[in-house]
Amino acid sequence: MSELLQQAPSLGNTLWFILAAVVLLVILLGFVTYAIYFERKVIGWMQLRIGPNRVGPLGLLQTVADVTKLLIKEDTRPKNADRALFTLAPILAYAPAFGVLAVMPFTESIQFADLGIGLLYYIALSGITVLGVITAGWASNNKYSLIGGLRSAAQMISYEVPLVMSVVGVVLLTGSMNLREIVEAQRDMWNIIPQFLGFAVFIIAAQAELNRTPFDLPEAESELVSGYHVEYSGFRFAMFMLAEYVYMFGMATLITVLFLGGWLPIIPALDFIPGIVWFVLKFSAYVFLQFWLRATMPRMRADTLMSFAWKVLLPVALVNILLTAVIVSYQQGMF
Amino acid sequence: MSGEFIAFFILSLLTIGGAVFMISFTRVVHMVISLGITFISIAGHFVLLGAEFVGVSQILVYSGAISILMLFGIMLTKHDANDEGTGNTWKNRFVLVFVAALFGLLFWGIQNAPWQAPAQQAAEQSMNNAKEIGIEVFTKYVIPFELLSVLLLVCLVGAIIMAKKEGDQQ
Repeated sequence: MSELLQQAPSLGNTLWFILAAVVLLVILLGFVTYAIYFERKVIGWMQLRIGPNRVGPLGLLQTVADVTKLLIKEDTRPKNADRALFTLAPILAYAPAFGVLAVMPFTESIQFADLGIGLLYYIALSGITVLGVITAGWASNNKYSLIGGLRSAAQMISYEVPLVMSVVGVVLLTGSMNLREIVEAQRDMWNIIPQFLGFAVFIIAAQAELNRTPFDLPEAESELVSGYHVEYSGFRFAMFMLAEYVYMFGMATLITVLFLGGWLPIIPALDFIPGIVWFVLKFSAYVFLQFWLRATMPRMRADTLMSFAWKVLLPVALVNILLTAVIVSYQQGMF
Repeated sequence: MSGEFIAFFILSLLTIGGAVFMISFTRVVHMVISLGITFISIAGHFVLLGAEFVGVSQILVYSGAISILMLFGIMLTKHDANDEGTGNTWKNRFVLVFVAALFGLLFWGIQNAPWQAPAQQAAEQSMNNAKEIGIEVFTKYVIPFELLSVLLLVCLVGAIIMAKKEGDQQ
């Protein structure tokens, strides 16, 4: 893949790029379809219900039907909305979600671009989504969506700080921001053990970044009139939801790479199982955690949400950086 | 035609287009969005030049700044406020002369600058340029770096004090 990027763009390899991107998109759409299905199934079982079981065998086509409904719905736009920005906002929210996947190493050989600063690339690009959210809130020309947009922006910007701070420990341990090198450095021990504090902060901040329970205030439709996407319907609404689930894909990939050893097996003896299987297993465990939390946790209040980010998560992340720095410099013989 | 050229062409178009629209739009939020497009395209230029770290920092710093700028734009202006602009044609012509002169000067300067030949190992370093920047900053440029961080800290404390004074008066 990376050699292809160095070549001059002929018709052949341009087609290859497009094909690779389309394949990734299809995998993503498949993931999103069945993630939603399993989310509803798992939560159904946890709440002693059956979950979707009518459309297709075992309800497997339920999400397909839902998406089709969204796509063929009338595309409504408020009369006084800002026409251009109303159209642009879902694109601004979705494009970075897809863009961050370009640097993700799924196995040793399956990766699109091997950037030296892959980790920073993810963090930087995911910040652009906030812009899409505020734009959506403003362009709808609705008080509720504007308030919702500002609330989501405050939440996403605040939780980005502990999220970034918690991965500094991993970077200090590895000495690199390259995602592939971070995975290779976990051959002896996964980062979840020496970086448990960082892992805990990361997983909490990631929930808030993904707008998921217990931090799903932007989607609190019954209490807070949803938020930035109240005026969106049909296809555009589907874009926002898609962006959210694609971020879940990206975050699950990132957490697998950073803390759970990527494609590496649990013990070296199990090396005969291909890396992609290990990757998918760890990835699915994180996705399951999401559903589990959603069935378990109540929603937080907006003010406790903000003070939790700044007064609990940030100090813990800073302590983690300090401890890691002391230990790393002790190992390198500085004391 | 190499891929680099195509990317450069598209990015330049977006950079300049964003900047032009930033000036010609009349609503604050539209201006902020086009400014954001300019900043992100500039980050693309950095990546093209092999300075990924600078490019990504550009996005990290400016996309956050753009969101905050937009928040202030929304909160501090009226929703339907349009910037009418100055209709002073005499002043506009005067400005045009200066802008043309500035462009001529910059163009002349860039054309005549003696460019150093690009370093040979640039391609090898691009993988590790975050590390190279770190080493340079913490050895050769450590005093300017520390001074800058003190300056930023002073700004932060100053902003808090100013906000607090206003809060006390109310």
